[in-house]
Amino acid sequence: MLEVSGLGKRYGDRWLFRNLSFRLAKGDALIVLGRNGVGKSTLLKTVAGLLHPTEGKVVADVPDTRTGLSLSALEMSLYPSLTLREHLRLASELRGCPSRDDELLERIGLTHAANLAASKISTGMKARLKLALAIQPDPLVLILDEPGAGMDEAGKDLVQSICAEQKERGVLVLATNDQREKLLGTLELELVN
Amino acid sequence: MDFGFWSAQPLNSWLSEVGAVFRKEILSELRSKSGLITSGLFGIVSVVAIAFATWSVKITPTVGAGLFWITLLFSSMISLPRAFTIEEELGTGDLLRLMARPHAVFWGKVLFNLILIAVTAVVLGTLFFLFAQIHVGSIPVLVLSLLGACLSLGGGVTLSGALVAQAANRGALSAAIALPLLLPLTALGVAALKVAFGDPAVTAGTQAAVGLVCYGVVSVAIGPYLFALVWKS
Repeated sequence: MLEVSGLGKRYGDRWLFRNLSFRLAKGDALIVLGRNGVGKSTLLKTVAGLLHPTEGKVVADVPDTRTGLSLSALEMSLYPSLTLREHLRLASELRGCPSRDDELLERIGLTHAANLAASKISTGMKARLKLALAIQPDPLVLILDEPGAGMDEAGKDLVQSICAEQKERGVLVLATNDQREKLLGTLELELVN
Repeated sequence: MDFGFWSAQPLNSWLSEVGAVFRKEILSELRSKSGLITSGLFGIVSVVAIAFATWSVKITPTVGAGLFWITLLFSSMISLPRAFTIEEELGTGDLLRLMARPHAVFWGKVLFNLILIAVTAVVLGTLFFLFAQIHVGSIPVLVLSLLGACLSLGGGVTLSGALVAQAANRGALSAAIALPLLLPLTALGVAALKVAFGDPAVTAGTQAAVGLVCYGVVSVAIGPYLFALVWKS
């Protein structure tokens, strides 16, 4: 379902990672570990297709990457003037999938904030919305970069349950330093340099 | 790789994607008003400055055409490229890259920019005629020139903005790309507007206005193909 072979990414003279190879099948969850700045986010963005690898390749066995592969990343921003519901509708129209805005807003516990602009909500609420955007098309490959960062305990529980659901349905790649989230993994990859 | 509109996908899916990007741009602009305020303020200040400077002077068609073109050109240059650069500045580019196909992003944004520059051209044109005492020589050439100016500036400036949006040093790169794109446009624009403002060379003016329209159509047509090459790089 997701195959990474000989993956490497270099900035200038510095290799962030090199010769990474793994294959994930349905039900697998890869936990990416490592200290800050070691290249976890870069690896996830490369796997998601947002960055070109310096060497190697990523093959995701999905019919359309817009719906089959999703990423939620800490550094990804939302449109400040669009409301939460407008974000979900925009995403569904671009991906050509059902909006499920009411269902998703309820799932992430933000029904009450549906019509608030993204600039008016907290960091934790933004993280929840990014999670909702990531799971909206029911992706086969879900990539999450520090999904629980900035969230309260209820938010972290939500991340846990969504990750568990995703593992049942497809493949999960998760970069985290949260002890509870680490327990979800069937495979671990620690980046060091 | 999906290069655009001509790939085998249902038309309604394409329209829906373009419409989604366009609606996002309109909603964001209506709520922030940054593009309208930036280009509107520049345009109004320019027209007022020109009006003061030429208070008791009769402006010739050539000078009038040059002044109007410069005002419209710089109004568009400070607002139109923002449609793309703002995605990178806000950090929303990755969100869009994950969800949207490049041609939908380009078409949605170019459509929004064409409307923005049309509004700017109408407002600036009205102010120019009210305050700078410009005489209209040929209404058909004026209409064709403004249409061509909107299409060519909308297409050309949007395309250069799209190409440099992801560059680290986008200010310098933008100038380097915009110069060869906009120089021929300026020559055509001034030649067409000169006739619109009373110069007798009607045939040459009409040809220049048609040239502007063609330039705009070509830049809007090739835009998605060039944009697709840089969108995910």
